Amino acid sequence: MSKKERLVIIGGSAAGPSAAARAKRVNPELDVTVFEQGKFVSYGS
Amino acid sequence: MTKIDPNEKKIEVVNLDDFSRSHISYDKLIIATGARSRKPSIPGSQAKNLFTLKDLQDAIAIKTYLEEREPKRVSIIGGGFIGLEMCEAFRLRGLETYLFCRRDLPAGNLEREISEKILKEITENGVHFLPYNEPVSFNQNSEGEITSIETSKGVYPTDMVLAAIGVIPNVELAKEAGVELGKTGAIRTDFAQRTNLKDIYTAGDCCEVFNLISKNWVYTPLADIANKQGRVAGENAAGVKAIFDGVVGSAAFKVFELEVAFTGLGFQAAKEYGYDVDWQIIEADSKVGYMPGSERMIIKLIFDRRSGKLLGAQMAGKEGVARRINVLAVALHQGMTLDQIARLDFAYAPPFSAPFDPILIAAEQAVKKMRRSKM
Repeated sequence: MSKKERLVIIGGSAAGPSAAARAKRVNPELDVTVFEQGKFVSYGS
Repeated sequence: MTKIDPNEKKIEVVNLDDFSRSHISYDKLIIATGARSRKPSIPGSQAKNLFTLKDLQDAIAIKTYLEEREPKRVSIIGGGFIGLEMCEAFRLRGLETYLFCRRDLPAGNLEREISEKILKEITENGVHFLPYNEPVSFNQNSEGEITSIETSKGVYPTDMVLAAIGVIPNVELAKEAGVELGKTGAIRTDFAQRTNLKDIYTAGDCCEVFNLISKNWVYTPLADIANKQGRVAGENAAGVKAIFDGVVGSAAFKVFELEVAFTGLGFQAAKEYGYDVDWQIIEADSKVGYMPGSERMIIKLIFDRRSGKLLGAQMAGKEGVARRINVLAVALHQGMTLDQIARLDFAYAPPFSAPFDPILIAAEQAVKKMRRSKM
């Protein structure tokens, strides 16, 4: 059984969530994880 | 996030709730660590009533302080866009607002004629503008609060300080892992948002972007660019080929009633990149003069005499400015000459513009100036 490919994104403000959304859209099978050190996510998108 | 191991393709993460560490492996990694506010490197910069403004948390901290402490007097350090936008925000709350600027005019990166309009607007709205005033120290009370700012020109009492002197890219994590930085100090990337390390991409305020007019990799930390780079990084990391060509350098902001917008290179920058630079400046009405709400606007075009092409444009006015700049951003993307711009077929009706739109007038006047200089 093959493991899902994993994309890790460091940063959850503007570029990070944009990248996550687009990656998931073009490849729904991809396992996507976003890390953010602050309290809020995607306030800049 | 504390570490990237590009050989093992793993990252080390710290959970900030309980400080537990874990290791997570990746096949593809995108570094989108953003930027942080620069703080003045003078005594007192760690004071609790000194704020910076980059994200929501910063904004909440400022608002909470305003509500709890009811300061009367605020000092803004830096005449850039954030400082200027905050002039309006603080004045709207009734604060005595002081703007400390290292140069003689606010928005020092823009053309003088535009900066002069900005200065007029903030002064008319009660902002105290302090040119050539660079703080040398913040004087604090026993509670660790800044009570006055010392500059080369004098001592200015204050209840709070906002430092708006730019941002620094967060590159430390990447650099430690061996990711290459560009000459701007931000992460070096290519048109596919790749870094020098295999399977590691980057996007946003932590990395560089290509400027299509100067043909250089530059540092332009803006949210719209970050989002576009993010999409491209995401697609490439997901295995679909995508390209981000670059930017022409467009932005807009509003200070009180004045809209300010620009695209491309300024005069000085264009010169430094070796263009045969000239400029033209015009004033025109945003709509036909008899229409209600018509306002004057100023447009400065920067162009290359050799090719006749537009290199940059800057505008200021109380109506119809911010959207209009986008036309010239398109012209820059397409490498249009002023002659071509002057003959563009724009939609006309009196509520929207004069038969000759301000952009057409500016381009026509620039063409005339170019012809005269060639005679």
